[in-house]
Amino acid sequence: MAYVLQQLLSKSTSRFPEKPAVWARNRSINFRELDERSNQLAHLLQQSGVRKGDRVGLFFPKCVESIISMFAVVKAGGVYVPLDPQAPVDRVGYIIGNCGIKVLITQDERRRSLDAATRESLEKCIVVDEAKHSGNGTGVVPWSALSEYPASHAPVVTLTETDLAYILYTSGSTGRPKGVMISHQNALTFIEWCADKFQITNEDRLSNHAPLHFDLSVFDVYNAIEAGATVYLVTEEIALFPTTLAKFIETQQISVWYSVPSALVLLLLHADLKADKLSQLRTILFAGEVFPMKYLKQLAELLPAVDLENLYGPTETNVCTYYKVDRERLASMDKLPIGIACENTEVFAVNDKDEIVTQLGESGELYVRGPGVTCGYWGDVEKTKKMVVPNRFQPNFEEKMYRTGDLVTLAEDGNYYFVGRRDSMIKSRGYRIELGEIESALLSHPAVREAAAIAVPDEVVGNRIKAIVAVHASEKAHAAELQQHCGTRIPKYMIPEFIEFRDSLPKTSTGKVDRVGLAQESQPLAV
Amino acid sequence: MTTNATTVKDQIRQFVSEELAAAKGVTLVSDDQSLIDNGVVDSLGIFRLVTFLEENFGVKIGDEEISADNLASVDMIEQLVLRKGKK
Repeated sequence: MAYVLQQLLSKSTSRFPEKPAVWARNRSINFRELDERSNQLAHLLQQSGVRKGDRVGLFFPKCVESIISMFAVVKAGGVYVPLDPQAPVDRVGYIIGNCGIKVLITQDERRRSLDAATRESLEKCIVVDEAKHSGNGTGVVPWSALSEYPASHAPVVTLTETDLAYILYTSGSTGRPKGVMISHQNALTFIEWCADKFQITNEDRLSNHAPLHFDLSVFDVYNAIEAGATVYLVTEEIALFPTTLAKFIETQQISVWYSVPSALVLLLLHADLKADKLSQLRTILFAGEVFPMKYLKQLAELLPAVDLENLYGPTETNVCTYYKVDRERLASMDKLPIGIACENTEVFAVNDKDEIVTQLGESGELYVRGPGVTCGYWGDVEKTKKMVVPNRFQPNFEEKMYRTGDLVTLAEDGNYYFVGRRDSMIKSRGYRIELGEIESALLSHPAVREAAAIAVPDEVVGNRIKAIVAVHASEKAHAAELQQHCGTRIPKYMIPEFIEFRDSLPKTSTGKVDRVGLAQESQPLAV
Repeated sequence: MTTNATTVKDQIRQFVSEELAAAKGVTLVSDDQSLIDNGVVDSLGIFRLVTFLEENFGVKIGDEEISADNLASVDMIEQLVLRKGKK
């Protein structure tokens, strides 16, 4: 059994050396090439100063080199940090500083876009597109340098399953993103569960729709490699266009698909999906947000032979519960369960009296324990202590459990159902968004006195974001100017689509901004 | 319907710039700038754009025409509208 991620690759390479492992942008590499290139890059990373536990940033749009880089970093004993290639420079710079990235794998153009202080903090940049730019100066290493390093073996490093494999940054309520630390054991707990549950074989063709900084991609990449299957990376120029995406699924004969529900809803609404053209498709997994029942029923009807599986779990747990859609029950269902705990994971709800919910129909906050649970947030002891807490329901030895912040109900059918959040985190297109982070971005504009970010429910993408802003008496501001300002601090999917200006914001009796009242008066946004 | 090429492009540029790019905190610098690579359009933005083109220029854009080949830049969108307008 594998205890570090790179063993998945070495095992499949010995079984299927010449089989395609990764396809992206009309290019593919086989298992042997993936193994050899990642060995070479691992040596180069070590040569560049990467030691066990060091963080290495990956900052370029997804392509074959992304997967090579992920394996190379862990082979070098490092921890990879996938960075959103579309994120504002300020946010990327913050993450690089926050987790102390000294070596960055990137494109030359993106390297140049970083602010001077961030660039100076980096010791080495390995550029994947050096062909266009030669002579890049000190600290810049071209991808072609890989050929100088041994391909036949990885560097020798001693790792155990509790060493970190990667860090995924998600929205933080205090205005800055937080880095969820995932160990090899955390990741493998999920990957091995998926391999068994969904019976992935070397005949399968997996899609990778999610960005690599989003935890859904962990299944796509590692379960394909684990099984000796092929992963097909869906890039933006395919993902954005439903007809192109449907054609991609058909042409690449995708057999296992995993995405947020909104991607599937857009396919349903705009791609004229036909079951006979998707005959290879056997399993659809979805996660990240609630699937609107109306569209799930349409999808089930359209693809009668495809297994539909709802996976649930915050990044901190990978996935902790699942529900296989019961087609016979579906017609009469008005809400989809998040299901039951994955094997090797325990979940339970804790009520307001701090007791574990045992009564059917009772609600509580969902807690998760098991080897899939993160050890916490990079460099943030306070936040870690708040969310990854000692298991007080088990006094015999020390162990941790994760508080999801999600309120759930244990229903009579034995499944858990998602009810809502304890805080102001929302989901849009499956992305976690802390409304507080948007408000911080707005408030950092000199003209803004008060700001509230509101989630407006949307049938297709879950939520769309609106902001209500009051400016200082002597100041003026336009929506476009504030959106532009937000664009320098937060990712595009977090920028409010609409900004309404008021003289002041309504307050609750305790003097806080009345977010609940503002949300209630917000109408659905026009397309 | 307007058939003047300059006007068509101006209207497209104005919509993309004010309705799509601004809301993503992006400033358009040229008409051949990719709207896809830098996230000017997202999955909902694409359909707002198509609705705008249909309503403003009286053209009908089929689902299969909503692709990167036709909508990746202001220049390409203009070409699509002019092509459709002639039919």
